[in-house]
Amino acid sequence: MKRMRTLAGISILALVLAACSSGTTDTAAEETAAALDDSNCAAAESFCVGLVTDIGKVDDKSFNQSAHEGAMAAAAEVGGFYKYIETTDTKDYAANMAQFTDKSYDVIVTVGFLMAEATVTAAKANPNTKFIGVDQFQGEEVANVTGLIFPEDQAGYAAGYLAGLMTKTNKLGQVLGLEIAPVQKFAKGFEAGAKAANANVSVTTVYHPPADNGFGDPVWGAAEAKKQLSQGADIIFGAGGGTGNGALIEIAKAEGAGTSIFCIGVDTDQWGTVPEAQPCLVTSAMKGLVEGTAGLVKAAFDGSIKGGNFLGTTGLADYHDLASAVPADVQSKVAEVVAGLKDGSIMTGVTL
Amino acid sequence: MSLTEQKASDKLGIFVRNQSIVVPIAAILVAFVLGGILIFLQGVNPLVAYKAIFSEAWFDSDGLLRTFQKTTPLVLAGLAVTVGLRVGLFNIGAQGQLISAALASALAGIYITNLSPILHVIVSLFCGVIVGALWAGIAGVLKAYRGVHEVISTIMLNSIAIGILDYLVSNPFKEPDQSLQRTKKIAETAVLPNIGVIPFGFILALIICLLVSWMLNKTTAGFRFNTVGKNKFAATYAGINMKLMVVTGMLLSGGLAGLGGAIETLGITYRFEPAFNAGLGFDGITIALLARANPLATIPAAILVGTLRAGGASLQFETGIEPEIVDVLLAITLLLVSAPILAKYLFRGKAQKSANVTSGWGN
Amino acid sequence: MLDFIKDNRKPVITLGLVTVIAYVFYFLDEIKTTSVLVFGWGYAVPLVLAAMVGIIGERTGVVNIGIEGQMLMSAFASFFGSVITGNIYVGMLIGIAAGLIMGGFLAVAAVKWEMDQIIAGVVINIVAAGLTSFFYAPGKTLPQLVPVVSIPILSDIPLIGPVFFRNGIFALATLFIVLAVNFAIFKTRWGLRSRSVGEYPSAADAAGINVTRIRMINVTLAGALAGCAGAFLALEAAGTFARGLTAGRGFLALAIMIFGAWNPMGALAAALFFGLSTALASQLQADEVINIPQQFVNLLPFVMTLIVLSVAVGRVRPPAAAGQPYTKEG
Repeated sequence: MKRMRTLAGISILALVLAACSSGTTDTAAEETAAALDDSNCAAAESFCVGLVTDIGKVDDKSFNQSAHEGAMAAAAEVGGFYKYIETTDTKDYAANMAQFTDKSYDVIVTVGFLMAEATVTAAKANPNTKFIGVDQFQGEEVANVTGLIFPEDQAGYAAGYLAGLMTKTNKLGQVLGLEIAPVQKFAKGFEAGAKAANANVSVTTVYHPPADNGFGDPVWGAAEAKKQLSQGADIIFGAGGGTGNGALIEIAKAEGAGTSIFCIGVDTDQWGTVPEAQPCLVTSAMKGLVEGTAGLVKAAFDGSIKGGNFLGTTGLADYHDLASAVPADVQSKVAEVVAGLKDGSIMTGVTL
Repeated sequence: MSLTEQKASDKLGIFVRNQSIVVPIAAILVAFVLGGILIFLQGVNPLVAYKAIFSEAWFDSDGLLRTFQKTTPLVLAGLAVTVGLRVGLFNIGAQGQLISAALASALAGIYITNLSPILHVIVSLFCGVIVGALWAGIAGVLKAYRGVHEVISTIMLNSIAIGILDYLVSNPFKEPDQSLQRTKKIAETAVLPNIGVIPFGFILALIICLLVSWMLNKTTAGFRFNTVGKNKFAATYAGINMKLMVVTGMLLSGGLAGLGGAIETLGITYRFEPAFNAGLGFDGITIALLARANPLATIPAAILVGTLRAGGASLQFETGIEPEIVDVLLAITLLLVSAPILAKYLFRGKAQKSANVTSGWGN
Repeated sequence: MLDFIKDNRKPVITLGLVTVIAYVFYFLDEIKTTSVLVFGWGYAVPLVLAAMVGIIGERTGVVNIGIEGQMLMSAFASFFGSVITGNIYVGMLIGIAAGLIMGGFLAVAAVKWEMDQIIAGVVINIVAAGLTSFFYAPGKTLPQLVPVVSIPILSDIPLIGPVFFRNGIFALATLFIVLAVNFAIFKTRWGLRSRSVGEYPSAADAAGINVTRIRMINVTLAGALAGCAGAFLALEAAGTFARGLTAGRGFLALAIMIFGAWNPMGALAAALFFGLSTALASQLQADEVINIPQQFVNLLPFVMTLIVLSVAVGRVRPPAAAGQPYTKEG
């Protein structure tokens, strides 16, 4: 019985200790933005930005992280308050958004195409809140929802064009995440670009088998990249979150990485997000997620944001240290293609 | 023992006699204290953190609805694993059975038309249950007639189900004119409604839970199940048809998991998408073990997990603590419920030794 | 040698058959066959190691369903150990130590406390998933690469050389670990004692074997192999750590263990079979030779496993006392 009392005593002591420290509470999410709080978001002079991730976390080196960085930077720039919630169950999208709408946040960024439907529903119920849907195509225009969408096929096309010009073996590879729309657009764009640059090129395309971890399996990505390398592919496009990152890291280990073997990253400039890949990373097929999200948050702040779709920019990342490995004529040709894609004179021809 | 101590222990006798209730509650408390230390180390007041979880999960009408919604499939997946354990089968495949059923009931909800609302719901639920049962039944038949161990076959069948469903929602049953892998929405007539903050599916799950408990504890079939699970040799001598037991055990287990998936589709998601229902079947294993394979105990176990999951987002919103802390709390609770240390610590010599829930790999 | 073949007839026949087929393909297409085999063996390595963990545990009467969590913890420890100390070899040791600790935890819970073994394993899995995710820190990179070692002479053998004998440390060690575990279980006094404890603990006890002690030791030591598997995944195979890195390989290893009939050589054959069919599926997807959706092509390893098991292998029997805690009478 004595033991039971000790146990109870310890528990109470722990709780009391914890309670005493309550004054100093400071949270990770709040530290990341201006030192306001969200108690008066409804007030006109305050500007509160909330972000709901798709399944996954804000440090995923991929789209959640980019949108998070963009939204956080924009909120800080205009003196707003920023907070995020990481979704752990796709059925919670609505509830996670409600956390922010309940506190009358001004802007809610929702990340990922899976959230499109939930975002529109929440927007209709909260007409005074602006919603920014990253990767969410808007079929019908809702005044307070802006879908930030990207022509992924164009980024893929430009990357493929570069690869098609640079390959010595005429064999290219793609190590991809799950076979879903944005990934398919990257992949088909890459193949189209490569074939446009070099008619003799063959592109090996392998998607991760359907599984819950299709975008988080670097072990598989690395093994697949190794296989494609030994079958003669000399430039490989790794597109698929952690799975693609595994491929990039593996290629960086290969003999000749940076001179005869190259890899191409995806979504953001992976020179910074996956430093292990630097030996082989010639460029990344980029979606301007950070800039796009930041721009829309700022537009929401100054009131210039419009409903419907907002086309973000895509393009190729800097060549960084491998610029010397890319011949000048290739660089200029690729620059032409990027410009042509932008002004619409070059079409990728990709349809899903 | 002095007189005063004697008196004290009489007063506390009620605790000793109800160890099976006291130990889990103590386990949860200790888990929350240990979790609180982790939270404290992150610079957050644990009380604020726990308040965030519970005020969202219990004291907010939307939150409460969500707690029940999350609890429902957990009860059923937990029951599925429980029934398996009682027959000596370890059904790791509740996940595959649940998602197959979720798609099946979605298809029934979409493509069967001209039914009255109640009938349509029943038919759609039934389709889910049948598909879940049949998917598990494959493992049952392989075990009974080909000696293929259910742990292997259900793991393989999980992956096979994921692949087939991925194909089906990317191609033949994909909602047209949009790029997501998903089916159309089910018809209005197939929707399983909420009654205030209580989803109808939750009530259904409770009824099924009572029925399973009754079946396992009061009927001949249940007696046979338990006999097979406890001692297959005795069961064989008693003239129980082992093959039949294995197949019906798997069918029942899969049917329960399937009902969980069907309720998810008809009551919450209204369509099928591969990203829905991730991990529910595996949570079922945790629930069944937390409940020590007692069907009725799956309800509080599922409510605990459902509460923590429903409050996870609010926890992050209010305090910035990452929602994974919830899993750490669950693991500590499960450990303390199952390990005899807590009971020994509390009751010393009077600690009851609980029977094991599982018997390794069955037979 | 003859004894070895006699003892392991099924695995040896399977491996022999695979070798013959592999060489036939090798003469048809050298590069593709080699690279597919490299993929297959790389896929099999963590499965084999993890299956050894399961086999050692169950042969001694302890079911280990927590291999997934043990590997995940070890992968996490080896990666961040390498990052913090700046040395991958220290990281490897830290990973193995983490495996030992996780093994020790299972031993204490399942053997000393006589806790339900499956629950103890599930606890390990949940704790590992929770902690490795909670404490994960992004933006860290390995201080150096794991070197690829070529074993002289052996690595020059066509096909087999580059696949098995030109690898990182853990992948190289795996073959020898399997042989060592096989030898230890079937040819040593320790193995005999362990097996008797796993089959008939009360008889072993009567014969003067300390059941609790041998179970504690074996389960703990097996954890070190889970540590190797985790370190292999993080340091050698992926070169990074990601949340949920093990991706269900610990559960797959249980299937491999049963597929291999609780026999190290059998598990090796089963893992190779599974790895090769996975590699084949990915090659079929890459070559687009057959016009089948990739979702179906990728079902190959799972469907093949079910077919092989239901047609050829049939009923296998686990060690009789696996899963049952042992309480000394009196």
